[in-house]
Amino acid sequence: MPENQLVEGLDLDQYKYDFRTEDKPVFRTEPGLSEDVVRAISAHKDEPEWMLEFRLKAYRLYLSKPMPTWGADLSDLENVLDQIYYYVRPQDRMKNSWEDVPDNIKNTFERLGIPQAEQKVLAGVGAQYESEMVYHSLKKEWDDKGVIFDSIEDGLKNHPDLFRKYFASVIPPADNKFAALNSAVWSGGSFVYVPPGVHLDTPLQAYFRVNQERMGQFERTLIILGEGAQAHYIEGCTAPVYSTESFHSGVIEIVVEKNARFRYTTIQNWSNNMYNLVTQRAIVNERATMEWLDGNLGSKATMKYPSCYLVGEGAHGSILSIAYAGDGQHQDTGGKVVHAAPHTTSSIVSKSISKGTGRASYRGLCKVHEGSTSARSNVECDALLINDTARSDTYPYIEIEEQSASVGHEATVSKVGDEQLFYLMSRGMSADEAMALIVRGFIEPIAKQLPLEYAVELNRLIEMEMEGSVG
Amino acid sequence: MADAVADRRERAGGTVAPINPTGLAQAQLGMGEPDWLAQRRLHAWKVYEATPMPTEQMEEWRYTDLAHRLPLEKLRAPSTVPLPDDPATWPEPLKRTMRDDHDASGHLVLIGGYVVHTTIQPSLASQGVVLTSLRKAVDEHPELLEEHLATEAVPPEDGKLQALNAALWTDGVFLYVPDGVRLESPVRVTSWVSGAGAAYFTRTLIVAEPGSQISCVDEILSEDLDSHALASTSVEVIARDCAEIQYVALQRLGRGVFYQSAQRTLADRDSTLDSLNVSLGGTTTRIDLNSRLLGPGANSNMLGLYFGDGDQHFDHNTSQDHLAPATRSDLLYKGALDGESRSVFRGIIRVANRAQQTDAYQTNRNLLLSRGARADSLPKLEIEADDVRCSHGATVGELDEEALFYLMSRGIARSQAERLIVLGFLGEILQRLPLGGVADKVTRAIEGKLRTAVHA
Repeated sequence: MPENQLVEGLDLDQYKYDFRTEDKPVFRTEPGLSEDVVRAISAHKDEPEWMLEFRLKAYRLYLSKPMPTWGADLSDLENVLDQIYYYVRPQDRMKNSWEDVPDNIKNTFERLGIPQAEQKVLAGVGAQYESEMVYHSLKKEWDDKGVIFDSIEDGLKNHPDLFRKYFASVIPPADNKFAALNSAVWSGGSFVYVPPGVHLDTPLQAYFRVNQERMGQFERTLIILGEGAQAHYIEGCTAPVYSTESFHSGVIEIVVEKNARFRYTTIQNWSNNMYNLVTQRAIVNERATMEWLDGNLGSKATMKYPSCYLVGEGAHGSILSIAYAGDGQHQDTGGKVVHAAPHTTSSIVSKSISKGTGRASYRGLCKVHEGSTSARSNVECDALLINDTARSDTYPYIEIEEQSASVGHEATVSKVGDEQLFYLMSRGMSADEAMALIVRGFIEPIAKQLPLEYAVELNRLIEMEMEGSVG
Repeated sequence: MADAVADRRERAGGTVAPINPTGLAQAQLGMGEPDWLAQRRLHAWKVYEATPMPTEQMEEWRYTDLAHRLPLEKLRAPSTVPLPDDPATWPEPLKRTMRDDHDASGHLVLIGGYVVHTTIQPSLASQGVVLTSLRKAVDEHPELLEEHLATEAVPPEDGKLQALNAALWTDGVFLYVPDGVRLESPVRVTSWVSGAGAAYFTRTLIVAEPGSQISCVDEILSEDLDSHALASTSVEVIARDCAEIQYVALQRLGRGVFYQSAQRTLADRDSTLDSLNVSLGGTTTRIDLNSRLLGPGANSNMLGLYFGDGDQHFDHNTSQDHLAPATRSDLLYKGALDGESRSVFRGIIRVANRAQQTDAYQTNRNLLLSRGARADSLPKLEIEADDVRCSHGATVGELDEEALFYLMSRGIARSQAERLIVLGFLGEILQRLPLGGVADKVTRAIEGKLRTAVHA
């Protein structure tokens, strides 16, 4: 039976990415974190001295910073952090040809539909398995135009000057505890450079998979859009379900130069034993546009607030965030916009759905620095509660230092109305179908922005989650 | 005890006591207070000592540098020699404001943290309405005070400054309305503080029994001071089933004063408990207001108005706690900020899982009138029930140029047009709670501030 049919045939009520591959990594560090682990990672990557120094400094910062006491419940996290593997190397070197990827890893990604998608609609694909990118490729036409789409390690090796200029310039290790941790033990992730004026008309996609139990994944991505360039980058994340917790902490740094336009789409569908603490930030220059499309559906606890620092006149930032919190999940997500130049504009639209014992929290910042004349920002948060054990929170921070700024925030929390359900059921729909239709309508403004295959996926997920929700 | 007596004699000469455990002993103990109260003060002092000073690292204080703005170690407890109950000897601004307040069910005047004057309409007194000083109430209504004073509404455990107030309060207001008694006119409380370098601690306790109705305008004023002073107040407002209370706190202090007010309203079944905070004066204002909807059908409208200029700093920290089904709360705080003034609004709606069929709303709107002004707004929601209607909104913006242009095209000078727009913007709050005289008084105060505004 072909792999895809197997996936289709799975019971839809299950997390469909819950399959494991038996494999032996070529190397992994001992569980837990120490200076030796940091040195081992750096040595295995054959890094320049400055990067080792950078990692060690970040490691000390990580130790010195307290655990956050806000957001998701991290009280068990210290235990998890003592037990996970910080670095697991699945194969000896990265492959640029799909045929060369080891069978067990290849099978995993084929079940996830990665190479098929590449052939159809993508400009380039990267796939990370455990701690390393196992595959990276870019279509020749883009390679010819000077586009770089590499693993982060190859970015450091092959483009040292460009790399060093931007690396940790957007998110320094001192930014927060988990940015410091990532800076100490980062491994994998993409290095992307789009030269000035180049418009990538199909997306780049990176796929992140954690297969092993008690695994910590610390990918680091650096993306630079040259003046007037345009691109769209998509990341997806899944893992099998284990009884122990795993940990994912990425750092994504993006620089959007003058007049450039960039969109970063995330569909996070980690298994619900995963802690997902991610720092994502973009520096947006003069008249450039940055769009974050952030979908958080999986994980046990996510804390993730994509940010736009609007530093050039006329820069625009947009954050579309959708969160689904099912039983036992806490999605603490949102976005930040910082206006630091005149005539900058931004918008945040957040939609969340909480069901069962799930908790969805919007946490956001809108800051307008003095001198950012005529800055405009609008924030809208809507939350839908599916039943009476679910919880929704809204924590917006609005800090305005500029008289001519115009800033608005609005939020609503509601449940699916009995009248709406009754109406649809009177037209012959089952209760579950009616609920799924209403929820789909609720998220439609964001879902329609997704690439088609993800929108279909999201709709399927909602149908499956709404089964038995009306009672 | 002999020392305490000696201290009292010394204070009678008008000396002041420092704010520390010795000062506590000097100011409060050995003054014939009942044992339960002395114990309560000591307990509060222990809480104060055990509670760290709030810093900007703490979420609730992240925009107000308390240690810098309130140098407690430099402040002294005020003199315990109250002015006589003779309006002729009162300061002119106090007399003026009293003249405006002729429509009243009763008057209570505090000067320097002590009640010096109380009147109440005889017909109300005969129905059992009590308006008296807190010190007298300790003797005259010990059961009510022991039950309610610094227990369920504003206990010392609420925070460092709440604990300090509970330990050191000198006097305050006790207002009690029996079952079913309804007051036509508001009760007027006027508090005058003076004396740079002093810290005043007062409390207000209002209890409205089932089916009663009352409104209270609690005004505090002073002249401008050339150094720091603290006016600290804890306000406890309790509405029993079906009672209606309107509580207005009107702050018109002079520069130099740190105004700290901890307020909690407790609303039982089908009661209505409305509040209005008007913050105009002082150098720093910090108000913590918690509205608790405890019984089904309870309702709370929470209004706030602030207008800053110069280097004024306002920090309004509100919370709406829905703890029973079918409760409703609606908050609207609006402010205009001129000069280098700054406002912080931090509000939260919490809907408990049992509070189904709740409606909760929260809106904060800010108008920035000058380049140096700043507004931070943090409207938060925590919703654990699903059958609710909740929304919140916040805006920060400048004067609407089109509205200005329209007024100017009708021949109104720009400065006058600006005034009209600001008054219209803030006036919405006053229209929502039309209590005799408050709107006029506040409008005059705002006009006074607008006249001195730098941009006019």
